[in-house]
Amino acid sequence: MTNPDTPRRAGRLRRAFAGLRLPLHDPLAIAGLAIYAAFIVIAIFAPQIATHDPTEILFTDDFQLAADLRPGEDGYIMGTTTLGRDVFSQLVWGSRSALVIGLTAAFMVALIGSIVGVVAGYFGGWTDTLLMRLADVAFGIPFLPFVIVLAAFLEPSIWNVVIAMALILWRDTGRVIRSQTLTLRTRAYVEAARISGSSDVKIILRHIVPNVLPLSFLYGSIAIGWAILTEASISFLGFGDPTSISWGYMLQDAYASQALSKRSYYWFVPPGLCIILIVSAGFFISRGYEKILFPKLDR
Amino acid sequence: MKAITAIGSRLLQTLFVLWAVVTILFLMFRLMPGNPMAAYIDPNFTPEQQDALMARFGLDRPLWEQYFIYLGNLLQGDLGESFFYRTPVTERILALLPNTLILTFSSLIVAYAFGILAGSYLAWKRGSRVEQVAVPVVLTTRAMPEFWLGMILLAVFSFTLGWFPAGGTRPPGAEYDGYWALYTSRDFLVHLTLPVLTLAIYSQGLPLLLMRSNMLDVMKEDFVTMARIKGLSPFTVVIRHAARNALLPVTTSFAIAVGYQIQGNVVVETVFSWPGLGRELVRAVSASDYPLAQGAFLMIAVVVILMNLIADLLYALLDPRVTRE
Amino acid sequence: MTSSLQTTARLALMSAAVATFGATVAAADPIRRIDLITRPQAAQPAEFQFVQLIAQEWRRLGLDVNVRVMPWEQMSDIVWFNRDTWDTTAWQMVGRPERSDPDEIVYNLFHSTTAERGFNFIGYNNPDYDAIVEEQRVTLDPDERRELVRRAQAILAADQPNMMLAHPQSTFAFNQSVWNPESVVEQGGIGIRNTWTFMSLEPAGDQRSIILNSSDNVQAINPLYISGGVDSWITELVWDRLMRIGPDGLPTPWAATGYEWIDDTTITVTLRDGMSWHDGEPVTPEDVKFSFEAAGSGESPMYGPFVTNIESIEIDGMDITFNLIQPSAPFLTASLAKINLIPKHIWEPIIERLADSDENAESIQEDTPIGSGPFRFHSWTANEEIVLNAFADHFNAPKADRWILRIVPNVEAALGMLRSGEINFLADFPGDPSVLQSAAEQDPNLVAVSTVDIGFRYVAFNHRRAPFDDPAFRQALSSTVDRRMIVGAAFRGFAVPSNSVVSPALEFWHNEETGNMEAGLDRARAILEEAGYRLIDGRLHYPEGVSETLQ
Repeated sequence: MTNPDTPRRAGRLRRAFAGLRLPLHDPLAIAGLAIYAAFIVIAIFAPQIATHDPTEILFTDDFQLAADLRPGEDGYIMGTTTLGRDVFSQLVWGSRSALVIGLTAAFMVALIGSIVGVVAGYFGGWTDTLLMRLADVAFGIPFLPFVIVLAAFLEPSIWNVVIAMALILWRDTGRVIRSQTLTLRTRAYVEAARISGSSDVKIILRHIVPNVLPLSFLYGSIAIGWAILTEASISFLGFGDPTSISWGYMLQDAYASQALSKRSYYWFVPPGLCIILIVSAGFFISRGYEKILFPKLDR
Repeated sequence: MKAITAIGSRLLQTLFVLWAVVTILFLMFRLMPGNPMAAYIDPNFTPEQQDALMARFGLDRPLWEQYFIYLGNLLQGDLGESFFYRTPVTERILALLPNTLILTFSSLIVAYAFGILAGSYLAWKRGSRVEQVAVPVVLTTRAMPEFWLGMILLAVFSFTLGWFPAGGTRPPGAEYDGYWALYTSRDFLVHLTLPVLTLAIYSQGLPLLLMRSNMLDVMKEDFVTMARIKGLSPFTVVIRHAARNALLPVTTSFAIAVGYQIQGNVVVETVFSWPGLGRELVRAVSASDYPLAQGAFLMIAVVVILMNLIADLLYALLDPRVTRE
Repeated sequence: MTSSLQTTARLALMSAAVATFGATVAAADPIRRIDLITRPQAAQPAEFQFVQLIAQEWRRLGLDVNVRVMPWEQMSDIVWFNRDTWDTTAWQMVGRPERSDPDEIVYNLFHSTTAERGFNFIGYNNPDYDAIVEEQRVTLDPDERRELVRRAQAILAADQPNMMLAHPQSTFAFNQSVWNPESVVEQGGIGIRNTWTFMSLEPAGDQRSIILNSSDNVQAINPLYISGGVDSWITELVWDRLMRIGPDGLPTPWAATGYEWIDDTTITVTLRDGMSWHDGEPVTPEDVKFSFEAAGSGESPMYGPFVTNIESIEIDGMDITFNLIQPSAPFLTASLAKINLIPKHIWEPIIERLADSDENAESIQEDTPIGSGPFRFHSWTANEEIVLNAFADHFNAPKADRWILRIVPNVEAALGMLRSGEINFLADFPGDPSVLQSAAEQDPNLVAVSTVDIGFRYVAFNHRRAPFDDPAFRQALSSTVDRRMIVGAAFRGFAVPSNSVVSPALEFWHNEETGNMEAGLDRARAILEEAGYRLIDGRLHYPEGVSETLQ
C-alpha cells in the first residue's frame, strides 16, 4: 500500500472519533452502513421475526416430517429444509451468527493488530524486531488450512474462526499500523510532547492512537468479510458447528441435501445473497475509510 | 554491496520463518487431544501390535526426540509415512502439487489479465456512470463464498447447459504421455474452465482495484501531464505512459496473490473434484492422518513463504526507489 | 408452537429447583446429565437427525440430555479407547458381504470376552447369551445353528443392550442405455453395486467401460490390508478367493470347484484347473497354501484373525485340506471367502524381507498389483481415477472391457455426471436417496435400485455406567421412539425398522418374532414406573435407595 499521508491533526480525541467513526460523505459507505443497520435490527429482533425455532424438527399435521416443503406450503414462508427445519427462521437467526462472528473477529484483528503495530512502531528496538518477526511467521502460515486444522482439533464451534483470525490475521493490520506509527513518531508535536515530559502511555494514547484508528477501522471492516466467508468455507468442508445456525451452515446443509438437484433455490440462494450483502457492505465501508485515509484515490 | 546484504538478510529471514512454521506445525499436530493413531488401531490388534504400530511411526519416543527426528527427516525431504495410505507423504504430495499449481496460476493469470485491463479502463473512465456501477460490483464479487459460486456455475454450465464436465481433470480412462501432454490437451482445458472461472471471478477484484488506483496516481504525475500537453490522444497516454508505470505494484502483488490463492483452493478443489493438495489436506485432517496433513500444510506454507520472498525481491528489483528500511 | 429451546430452558430451570429441594426430601438421586454422541450433520445427515429426535423424546421422559457432535475419529477414540467415559452414542455397522454370516455380529458384538478391547464396546455381559453364541459357532448343522441364532436374537430383544433403529437401504443407480438392466445383479443385503454386477454387466451399446464414482479416495490396493470401503471394491475384483459370497448371501465355491467336510475340524477344497495370474503364471495349490500362511504371518494384522483357527494346511494334487483347531460353522464365509489368493512368486520374497523390519505388509503398494481375479490392474491416478481392464483369461471373464473408478467428492456433481453420461454407474451416493429416486423417474435412461442392508444403525448404551446397567432403564429409553418415525424422518423412508442385529435381508437367520416393539412415551413411562424410577418436578430420579455414582 502506498505510504499513507496523514494531514489530520492529533490530540483531539473527540474530534478524531467523530471523524472516523462514520464515513458519511461517501454514498457507497452509507449504503454499507445501511445494510449493517438493517442486519443489526434483524439480529436483535430475530426471536420476534422468526416464525420458528431454527433447529426445531417440524412435523406436518399428520405427523410426517415437514421436509422439503416449498415456500408458502403449510405456512412456511420460505419452505423447509430436508431435515424439516424452517428456512426463513434459519435465515433470520443466521444474521446473529454472522454479526457475532464478523464483529468479534474484526474487533480482535483490529485490536491486536493496532496494539502490535503501535507498540512496535513507537518503541522500536528489540520489541519491534520481535513483533515484526512474529508477523513474518504469521504471514508464513496459510490461513484457511490453519482454521481447518484448528476446527478439527477443537470441538466444532463458530468461535474457531474468531480464534484463528485473532491468532493469524493481525499481521496485515500490525504491519501497516507500525509504519504509520513510525512516521507519526517523528512528527514535531510528538517530539514536543516527549520533551515536555509526557509519559509514553500518554503520548501513545493522545497522539498516536487517534491517528491510527481510521486504519484499524479500515482493516477491521475488511476482517468482517473475511470472518464470515471463512466461517462459510469451514462449514462447507464439514468442520462447522451444526448447533448454531449460520448462513454458512445453511449453505452446507442445502448442499449436503442436494438442494440444487431438488431445485430448492429458495434454500440455496438466499443465504448466499445474505453473505454477499453483509460482506460487501464491509468492503463498502472500508472504501469509505480508504477515502478518508488516502484522499488521492477520490480525486 | 548494500543490495546484496539486503537480499542476504531477507533470505535469512525466510529461513527463520520456515523453521518457525515447521516448529509450530510439529507442536500443533503433536499436542492435539487423544491418541494420534486411535483411528488406525484395528480392534483386532493385540496390545503388542498396537505398540508396534506406535513404534513404527516413532510415537513411543519423548516429544523432543520426535521433534529432532522430524527436523532431520525434513532436511532429507522425508515427510514421514501417511497413516491413511501407508505410503510416503512426499510421494503423495508431489503427485498432487502440479494440479494445484496449475489451477492457481491459470486462474490468477486470467484474473490479472482481466483485472489489469478492466482496471485501466475504469481509471480512464473515472467519474463516469460505468465506473460508479463497476466499483461496487467488483467489491461484490469478492464477497461471494467461493463454493457457492462454484456450485451455481456447475448447476448452470454443467448440469443444465451441459457445456462443461462436472469434475476431474480429464475424461474417464483417458491417457497422456506425461504431464505436459495432459496439460496442453483440449480435454484438460475443458475440465479446467469452470474451476478457473470460479477462482478468477473471486480474485480479479484485487488487481482491478489496484490497477485502477495506481493509474489514478500515475495520471497525476508530471510526465503524463507532459504527454497530454504534447497532444497525444488520451488512449495513447493511458496505454503508453500511465499503464506501464502503474503496472509495477500490480505485478508484485501477483506473487503475493499466488500465496493467498493456493491456501484458498481447498474449497474449489472439493466442488470440482480436482485432485489437488487442498483436498488432500482436508481429507487428511478429517482422517486424523497427521503426517499427511502436516506435509500438505507445510507444502502450502512453503509456497506462501516463497511467494512472499519473491514479491519482496521483485519489488526491490523493479523499483529502484525502494531500499530496505 | 413451543420451541424446543424454550422447553430445554424450562427443564433446566426445574432441575435447578429440584437440586436444592430434592436433597432433603427424596432418598434417591436425580439421574445425572446424559451424553449422546453423534457425528456431524455434514458427514452423517440421517444419524444427526435421529439423534436430535431421540434426544427430544428422552428429554420428555425427564432426562437431561446433552448431544455432543464430533467427527468419527474423535468419536471412535472415546467409544473404543475410553470405554468407561461415555453414556450413549449413535453407531453404525456397515454391511459387508462377509457379514452375511451372522457369527461376526452376534458373537463379536455381544460376547463378554470382547468387552475389554474388542467389538463389545458397550460392555454387555450375559452368561446365557455367551453360551448360545459359543454353541452356534461350533454347530455345523445349518438348521440347528439357525435355531441358536434365533434364540440369541430373542435374548437381545429382551435385554435391549442397544437401541436398535433401522436397517438402511442402499440406493445405487445405473444408465440402462449403457448397461442391459437384466445383467445387473442385486445382492441381498448389499445392493446392486457388487462384484457380481461388475462381472456380468452387459453393454447395451458402444460404451464398454463401466464408469463409476466414489466420494472417498482410494487408500491402498493391497491384498493383505483391509483399508477403506472403496478399496474393497477393487480388491474383490483383482484378487480371487476360494469362495465368494453369492447374490443370495451364502458362500459359493469360486476359485475352488467344491468343498467337503471330512469331519468337524477338517475340510478339503479342490482348486479350479487352468487359472492363471495376471502376469501369466499358473495359479497352484502352493499359492493357495501360501496365501493363508501369509495372512497369518503377522505381517498382515488385519487378516490374521481370520486364519487363527487353521492348524495346518495339506496339499494333495489340486486338493487342499485345512485342519482346524476347533469346529467352525462360519469358516466358509469368514476364512475361505475372505482371504485373497496371492501369487507366491511375488509375495514370498516380500514377506521374508518384512520379517526382519518393523514395517508390515500394509505399507507395501505394488506398482502393478497382480492377482488372478476377473479384472486386472491398469492404472491409478492419485485422487482422480483407477482403471482396471477385463482379464479375458478368467474363468468368469467380465463382459465389459474396462472398469473405471472416478473419485468425486461432490455428491451433487456425481448425480450430475450420471445424468450427463460422464459416469454410467452411480456406486456411491451419500446424499438423499429420494433425490436419486426422482432423478430416475424423470430420466428414462436411469434406473435406481434400493436394497435393504445387512448393516444397521443404532444408539449404543454403555453398560458400564449406571443407569444403563439396568435392563428396565434401557427398555424404557429404547421404547421411547417409534421406529417408523425414525425411518420416515431420518431416512426419508429408505430403511426398515429394526429390533434385531440380524437384518431381515438375511432371511434364513433373521428372527422375525423380535418384530417391532411397542413404542411411545406412555409405554416408556410405564416401564420406568414399574422399575421404581420416579419423576420429581419433571426430572427423572433413580429408584429408592439408588444413588448417582458418576458425574
